[in-house]
Amino acid sequence: MEPTSVSEEIPIMRMGSDLLVTLQGDLGDQTVEALERDVTREVARTLARGILIDVSGLDVVDSFVARVLARLVRIVRLLGADAAIVGIRPAVAITLVELGASMSDVTTALNAEQGMARLRRMRAGGVRA
Amino acid sequence: MAEYPVAVVEDLDSSYTQMMESITDYALIRLDGEGVVRSWHAGAEQLTGYTAEEIIGKPVGLFYTVEDAALGVAETDLHAAALSGRHETEGWRVAKDGAQVWASVVFTAMHAPAGGVRGYVMAARDLTQSRGKELNLRGVEQMVNSIADHEVIQIDRDGRVRSWNPGAQKLTGYAPEEVVGHHMSMFYTDDDARSSVLEREMMANAVRDGSAETEGWRLRKDGTRFWASIVLSPIRDDEGVVTGYVKVARDLTERREQERLVQQQRDEIMELSTPVIQVWDKVLILPIIGTLDSGRAARLTESLLERIAADQAEVVILDISGVPGIDSDVAQHLLETVEAARLMGTESILSGVRPDTAQSIVHLGIELGSLRSRTSLKDALRLALGLVRVRAEAGNGADVGV
Repeated sequence: MEPTSVSEEIPIMRMGSDLLVTLQGDLGDQTVEALERDVTREVARTLARGILIDVSGLDVVDSFVARVLARLVRIVRLLGADAAIVGIRPAVAITLVELGASMSDVTTALNAEQGMARLRRMRAGGVRA
Repeated sequence: MAEYPVAVVEDLDSSYTQMMESITDYALIRLDGEGVVRSWHAGAEQLTGYTAEEIIGKPVGLFYTVEDAALGVAETDLHAAALSGRHETEGWRVAKDGAQVWASVVFTAMHAPAGGVRGYVMAARDLTQSRGKELNLRGVEQMVNSIADHEVIQIDRDGRVRSWNPGAQKLTGYAPEEVVGHHMSMFYTDDDARSSVLEREMMANAVRDGSAETEGWRLRKDGTRFWASIVLSPIRDDEGVVTGYVKVARDLTERREQERLVQQQRDEIMELSTPVIQVWDKVLILPIIGTLDSGRAARLTESLLERIAADQAEVVILDISGVPGIDSDVAQHLLETVEAARLMGTESILSGVRPDTAQSIVHLGIELGSLRSRTSLKDALRLALGLVRVRAEAGNGADVGV
């Protein structure tokens, strides 16, 4: 694991051919902009095959955050990488379902380890499970 | 006895008459030794309604109520005045139109130079209004004091107790002298330090809304707690300025205890009706039995997701063979549970779907998405184990397809 963080706010770690982005605290407008810029730059620079977005450290996950995440996943896919969101807590999952947040095409996993497995499987099968 | 010039006597007489006629708040009546009215003036007419012509020569008993007259109260009053020189009474008297007036009456005996009573001066005053106010106050006090199962007390603007009633004594165990003048924080529980803030908020709310309500633990004298329901209302003076508050409190400990018991039983039943079973490493089964309403579905989803997080389960089997019927509401609940589990990264398998259930799901137009379904629990479990194995192999394997 070699830290390749380019922003003070958003730590991005490289794990083999994948990246792990850890989101923490509050996701404000400024952070969203920095997030998209830093993630796309890192994916392009490292030629990462997959990216895990860990949201377990986020204070609030509402429909705004859900939209931001879904957008980030689409952006990453356009760059030729797969993306998975990990660490959605039970209460957050219930809230997102109640809000009707459209995250149906987003791949999820319980933790980073299972998320990595998920990304490998997607690459192996060539399909999005 | 000195002889006064006639003119001076006439002058005295007229100024005496003037003086008498200017007294309107009192009735000053001269009675003779037999209690017959001998003089009259404007104040007496105003109080009783009788004119001088109507009343002069009539007995004083006319002013008494029929009951008092029958008891000879008038005679008793005069007799008492004759004996002690002065007699004061207060009571209902009757005006000409039959209206009753609460009057304060003072009889003063006038003695003849030779001894013996020559007559009386009767000074009467109408106290009906102040009597009414006093009665009112006394009535309110009596009312408050007869309330034995509610605490009805007065507190000042700073929260100090100003009055105490038997209900308050029964509720808290404190006697009036132990609490009056003390701050009501003496009833707060030790771990309820915030109460003073709440109480201030409550006072502000009471002033704003006319009254404020709260429930909470309060302390008795013996240190035991009771669950109190409290209503606070501001007391305003005639100018509308808040001078204090009236606090009404009730003991709801028993009701709260019952509610807690009912809630506890409900929770236990809920837990029994939504058991989550771990059947294999990373595989959970949720057997759903009975009808699924939104309350139960929410709890079911919650307990399932908590369990998923705790066990890091990758696959969950929702067995609906025990659900009597699937309507669109039930299907919606199920799909929400599946979606919430998926957001956490866990895959769901529907199991126990009967032919008629399958038909109704499709006929209801419910979109199942990529949800996998099996008719028997055995098949569902086989599928679940397969999914877990695939996931594990992908996890262990080297980066495939590089």
